[in-house]
This record gives sequence, structure tokens and C-alpha cells, in this order.
Amino acid sequence: MARLLIVDDERDIRHLYAAELEDEGYEVESAGSGAEAVEKLNHQHFDLVVLDIQMKGESGLQLLQKIVKERTDLPVILCTAFSCYKEDFSSWLADGYVVKSSDLSELKGEIARVLKKKLS
Amino acid sequence: MPSGCCWNKEIISPDECRFLRPGDEELLFNRKKRFLTRCLECPDFLEELRHLNGGSNGLPAFFFYAIEEVLALRAEIHRLTQQAADRTREIRFLHEVSQILQTSVSLDEVLSMALTAITAGKGFGLNRAILLLVDKDRQTLKGHIAVGPRNREEAGRIWHEIESHDYSLQDMGQILREQKMAVEKEKFRDLLAMISVPMSHADHLFIATLNEQRTRHIRNLWEEPGIECRQAEALGVGELLLVPLVSKNRRIGLLLADNIINGRPITAEDVQSLETFALPVAFAIERASLYERLQEELEKITEANNRLREQQELIVRMEKMALVGKIASNISHTIRNPLTIIGGFARSLLKHTPPDDAKRCHIESIIRESRRLEEVLQEVLSYSESLHPTLDWWDVNQLITGVFAGMRDDLEMNRITYRFDLEPNLPKAKLDFKKIAYCLRALITNAIEAMPSGGEIVARSSLHDERIHIALTDNGPGMSEETIRTVTAPFFSTKDSGSGLGLSLCKRILDEHGALLDIASELGRGTTFTIKLIIAREDNHGSLADR
Repeated sequence: MARLLIVDDERDIRHLYAAELEDEGYEVESAGSGAEAVEKLNHQHFDLVVLDIQMKGESGLQLLQKIVKERTDLPVILCTAFSCYKEDFSSWLADGYVVKSSDLSELKGEIARVLKKKLS
Repeated sequence: MPSGCCWNKEIISPDECRFLRPGDEELLFNRKKRFLTRCLECPDFLEELRHLNGGSNGLPAFFFYAIEEVLALRAEIHRLTQQAADRTREIRFLHEVSQILQTSVSLDEVLSMALTAITAGKGFGLNRAILLLVDKDRQTLKGHIAVGPRNREEAGRIWHEIESHDYSLQDMGQILREQKMAVEKEKFRDLLAMISVPMSHADHLFIATLNEQRTRHIRNLWEEPGIECRQAEALGVGELLLVPLVSKNRRIGLLLADNIINGRPITAEDVQSLETFALPVAFAIERASLYERLQEELEKITEANNRLREQQELIVRMEKMALVGKIASNISHTIRNPLTIIGGFARSLLKHTPPDDAKRCHIESIIRESRRLEEVLQEVLSYSESLHPTLDWWDVNQLITGVFAGMRDDLEMNRITYRFDLEPNLPKAKLDFKKIAYCLRALITNAIEAMPSGGEIVARSSLHDERIHIALTDNGPGMSEETIRTVTAPFFSTKDSGSGLGLSLCKRILDEHGALLDIASELGRGTTFTIKLIIAREDNHGSLADR
């Protein structure tokens, strides 16, 4: 069973994602900040990270660079309220880019696609 | 004394004195006046006087002295009166001309007036006037305009025309400006070109005259050492007057005047008059040309000002648009998060609510409405994004040349030359312009860094079955196989310079496009990076289109 880390500074978003993704059969852990995420990444195993971009403190793009540098095998999907970060080349490092929506099917589809790609 | 003379008669009849003229009726009755005006010069009277009391010591002999003196004085008075009249006429003429010169800011008007004044019979009456002006860059004393007949026939025609019309000086100036200026310029074009002299030729007669600010009256131009033979030939006169035009020590130009047609010698009065005249002319020319320059500058400034205003308006518009974009983006963030939560939980709830539960329709309402709001939000945001689509069908050659053009300064700074060898008939490829351009830049940057002492990059495009190849070949030191293997690994390079993520990101982008990156290198010879793009069709590129 794939283990996911949800990083978002909005508590309700974390709860929603956790609930929905657990329903999909994933094991979900969440972090409310970049620092908390780093902490968890250092001590636990994850198969994929779902990462918000605009957060208080360390931004999602900064965390993304760290992950790509230190954990080259760990795929990241950016999940953000902004579509403009698609233009920012540092977001191109991510394996996926999803604009937040109450309909989580796109996020779910993207997670499945990236995990499948990782396994192959 | 012969009885025929009438000098001592109180009253005479008209036929008695053969020196009376029509209008002299008063003299018939006025003996004193008649004596003083007519008899003193009458040979009959003088003859009678000579016979009166004969001998050299008689009264008549002394009387002759007096008559001689009276006549001499009278002639002198006449001469002076004539001179005074001439001067008055000249002053009136100068006044008329200078009024025009003082009030005019049109260079053409000033020149027409000045040249007319010099050549017209009512003015100084010289045959020909030529004006040379120092050009804007102060490099050349340039033949600007000449006025005058070219030959006797033309002169005759012009003089006749002037006499028959009785033009005023001002009229003549206007006629010259409006009708003849262009003709005169054309007529004397060769001459004007021939007599132009660089300001650096200080020994030349013209430049020396101007530099010394002293009028010269040349009596035989053929003997002048300071002028070239061909120039003297072109002028075609021996006697020439050169008057420098100087305004506040600033050299404006040179005026040449001559009597090429009638050959009348140039008099000291001519010289003096022209010298006096030169001062206001120089001043007027300078003022007019300054005014013209001012006008030109004004036009430039007005134009610049207009451009500035347009740009300012553009900036304001752009700022407004940027502001709108920023507001939209902020709204997006503040609305999208709660909407995601509301709608997301509603969907979650609905999933866990039994089909017959009455609450379902309430939850469905929440889902429907939140979706509607999301759609509105998406519409607003996608409008601004649609203005700059990056994923589209692009001309690969255009992409290559565009990227090189953008990096020209970088390449030049690193002494790297480049050339293209592009396949002209490539199909368009569907790609994200920004991302592929980023890849090319990363590869070029890599090549630049591999050739620290300069070199050459060749960019080729070619078509191979279903792929378009973009090959970049440098003539740097090349890479070992080990280096090639690691080069695309994430963060291989230690030379991240700004763009930072280097070839690893490049590789990732190409993967995303279904494109391949091929590296061929030979140590000591150079490296070729080849990007192999799929000629994408709409159907096999769906996933990319979503990104």
C-alpha cells in the first residue's frame, strides 16, 4: 500500500485529502508546514508527496527543490490554488501539477499515474 | 560788346537767350536770377566780358576768377547733393531690407532678400551674388545658393522684366523665394558644388577670408594662389568681392559678388556698402538657421513627448491589467481553498450517505453550487491565461533561431560563434515553447561552459521519420562516457548558474514531451546534444496538453 504525505498549511484541506485518499486505499500522513514535512520525510518512508505551493514559512517550491535534490526517487505532485506557478520553471521539477478543486478526481488520477510511472 | 547778348537787359523775350529751357519763364523777368543761373555759363556773355575793358589787369579778369570759383562750388554742391541723395536712397533701401531681415525667421526668406538686395538695380546693383554657408557639422563651407544671370542674353531678359514691372525690393525678394529659388539653385548646382571647401583648408582663399573676418576685393582672381584653378574657372571672373558673414565671432558663411556680365569695376562704395550690409545678413541667417534648428528640435521633442505619453498610457494600462491579474489571483486563492473544502467534504459526505437518505439532496445542492462557483472562477482565470498559450504547434526552426537570438550577448561575451544548418521544410511540432526553449538554453549554456576560451556551436534541425531532431554541436573538449552518464542525473552539475537546474530538468521536460535526449561526444573533438522531438498529433499528446 502506497504511503502518501500531504503537505498543506490549511487544516481542513489536509483532513479532506486524508479522508478521500484513505478511501482510495492509500496510507496518508499529513504535514502543516515545510519544516514538519522535512521532519516526517527524514523519519518515515513515503511513496509520494502532495505539496501545496503557497504556505506560511517555507514555500512548496523551496521544499520541492530540497526533495528533488535529496530524495531523487520520491515523486512530488504540486496541488495548489494557483495555476500561474505552471510558468515558474522551478515547478517543472515536480512530477505533476494539479489545481485545487472540490472534485478530487484529477488529483487522484494524477497520483495513480505518477505512482504507476514510478513502479515501471 | 556785341549787341546780341541779353545779359544786361531787365526783361527779355524767349528767343533772345538760347540757353533758356521750358519752365524757365520766370527768368525772362528776373534779371538777377537769370544772370546767376544762365549767364555765368553762357559763352556769349563770357565773350562779351572778355572784350569789356580788355587787358589782364582789368576788373573783368578778376571777375573771371569769381565766376570760376562760383561754378566750381556749384559743381561741388551738385556732387554732394547727388551723393546725399544716393546715401538717402541707400539708407532707405537698407532700412527696407533690414526690416525684412530683422523680422524674418525663414532662412529662405532671409537669403532671397539678401541676394536680391545685392543683385537688384534698386539695391547694390551687382551682377551676381553667391552665398556659401558653413554646414551644420561645421566641416564644410558649402555653396548654398547663387543669384544672377548666367549670360548677357539672360541678363537682358531679366533686366527688362524688372524694369517693365517696377517691382519693389520686397516683391523681388518674394518672387525669388517663391518662383526662382529652386531654379537658381539648380542653375548654379555645379558651380555651388565646385566652390565648396572643407573648413580645414585654412590656406584656401575662402576659408582664410572667413577666418580673418576681413573683406577682400580681388582684382584678378587668376593670380590668386589661394584658390584652385578649376574653381576660378567655374567662377569665370577676374574681379571678385569676398565678404565674410560673421555673427558674434561665429563664422556663418561667405558672400561672393561680382559683375560677371557688364564687367563694371567694383567700387570702394560697393565694398563699403556690402560690408555694412553683411552684418545684418549674417545675423539674420544665423537667427533663421537657429530658428530652423529649434523647429527641428521642437519636432523631435514633440515626437518624443508623444511617444513617452503613449508609453505611459501603455504602462498604466499594463499596470491596471497586472493589478487585475493580481486581484484575480488573490481571489482565486482565498476562494478556491474554502470552495475545495466545502465541495470536497460535501462529496465525501454524499459518498457515505445511504441512497434513501433525505439529506442527500441538500448535500447535492452544496456540491452543485460549489462546482458552479469553481467553474466561474476557472473561467475568469483561464481568460487571462489564454492570452499567452505556450503549448501549441510551433515552428522548430523559429524556436532554435529565437533561442540563439536571445542568448546572443552571452555567446558573444564568451567568444562563441554559432551557425545554423536548418532543414527548411519541417512540419510544425506540438510542444510547450517555454519549456523546450528552456532546454535549448540549458544545452547552449552547457556548451558555453564547456568552451571557456571560446569556440563554435552548430545548430542543426532535420527530419527523421516521425521525429524532428535538433542537434547542437560544440567543438569543446568533449565528455567521457562516465560524465555523459551522470550529466543528466539530477543536480549533477556544480556550475548551476542562475537557471540552476541544468540538464536534469532538461531531461525531465523532454521526457514529458515524449522526446529523447541523445548525447554523443568525442574527447578533444566536441559534443553533440540531439533532442529528438515527436511530431506530436493531437491524440497522442493528451497528457501533456493537461499540464
